[in-house]
Amino acid sequence: MSKHLRNQLLRLLLEQQSPYISGEEISKQLGCSRAAIWKHVQELRNQGYEIEARSRNGYRLISKPDRIAPEEINFYLQTEVLGKEIRYYPAITSTQESAHQWALAGAKEGSLVIADQQTTGRGRLGTSWVSPAGTGIWMSLILRPNALLKFASHFTLLAAVSVFEAIQSLSSYPIHIKWPNDLLINKKKVCGILTELKGEQDRVDYMVIGIGLNVKQNDQLPSHATSLEEAAGKQYIRAQVIAQILQRIELCYMEYVKEGFAPIRKRWEAGAQSFFGREVQAKTWNGVIKGIAEGLNDDGALIIRSEGEKRIIYSADIQMT
Amino acid sequence: MALELKDIHELVQLVEKAEVAEFHMEHEGTKITIKKAVGEVAVQPVAPVVQLPPPTAQNSTVTTQSPAPTQETKEVEDAGLHKIESPMVGTFYRSPSPDADPYVQEGNTVSVDSVVCIVEAMKLMNEIEAEVNGTIEKILVKNGELVEFGQPLFLVRTT
Repeated sequence: MSKHLRNQLLRLLLEQQSPYISGEEISKQLGCSRAAIWKHVQELRNQGYEIEARSRNGYRLISKPDRIAPEEINFYLQTEVLGKEIRYYPAITSTQESAHQWALAGAKEGSLVIADQQTTGRGRLGTSWVSPAGTGIWMSLILRPNALLKFASHFTLLAAVSVFEAIQSLSSYPIHIKWPNDLLINKKKVCGILTELKGEQDRVDYMVIGIGLNVKQNDQLPSHATSLEEAAGKQYIRAQVIAQILQRIELCYMEYVKEGFAPIRKRWEAGAQSFFGREVQAKTWNGVIKGIAEGLNDDGALIIRSEGEKRIIYSADIQMT
Repeated sequence: MALELKDIHELVQLVEKAEVAEFHMEHEGTKITIKKAVGEVAVQPVAPVVQLPPPTAQNSTVTTQSPAPTQETKEVEDAGLHKIESPMVGTFYRSPSPDADPYVQEGNTVSVDSVVCIVEAMKLMNEIEAEVNGTIEKILVKNGELVEFGQPLFLVRTT
């Protein structure tokens, strides 16, 4: 029995309605022997699935590990395009790097690279992103929008809105967007998004949206960071969160294609309410600009009122003071 | 001779067509600063106050009048130098991180797919490639500066 059949077996166990699914039923649906089923139940157990086997009743899934392999993500996934092809790595240097290589080799729109652990996860301008095994969502999504480069930055705000809404749909605690696309809980960073693109003339060839989301609290998290589980006091199934994020990105993307930046911008502003009207410091390569965060311009750049002057910020680390 | 409204209007048009982000001049006590900003042109006479040309006409022309890359390439090929232009508004970086070496220096040889810089906007990092084979003749922008759509970043002597 191939890995494909094992994934089908897992799906049957995940979807089972009655308490037990009989070995006979499984072998009928998958077209394999009951001995083969038994062998693969053992392998699933080795992966951390807790499966009860009763000779009279059949099999029952008691608990499952927080895996993010494609078969787990697919179980929750309801998208049309995004995440239809997934490359999963237990450990990798950087999902961004891997996604670039895949995109250059012709990856389709919506292809996803995901890893349980990144050894050299990266952030903006050479900063690193802490990505210990099993504690978060470290993924890079490849998009090929038919868009002019000068509008490409809209996608970074679109990604922020999508992750923001995905987390909101699974949780009830307050979460905030910080310009341009950090997500904060209790003023601590829970998610960072880094987008890299390759242009072809004045258009996008492909873009790689890298999302780092801290799910489980761990001692490697910097002091200014937090995790979903610390905020919620409950456990998350990472595969479900991933599927929800992809679903929201797809919806926002379709909306953007149809209606442009305006509706995305409105929802971004709703998520960033706590940000506007506040005193902020924008740390740029050429110095610090202090002022009041006033709003966005049409590109998604930040407007800061500083000493009576309107400053438009395209790149900076923002600190709320 | 005092500056007249039509002179300023002409200046605005000249600056708009020129590949500069900002223009300063002083003429018989009149200071004029013309800045090309995102989607707007600000004409700011410092003293004395001069009537401003209506800004609406400028607003729409800033981006549309930026020369299309193809025309531009043709023009500079005549002069033997290729301009690498910014495909978007954003911050210009010569290296991938503050402590890394610059992608290129003046005098360096580049090929079509050599990365020459990054332009960043809203945490979107766009690695700009040379798109020609040649030698970097001049770097036109400083590290960390904001660049406009269509603004020339490098001059390349093509080979």
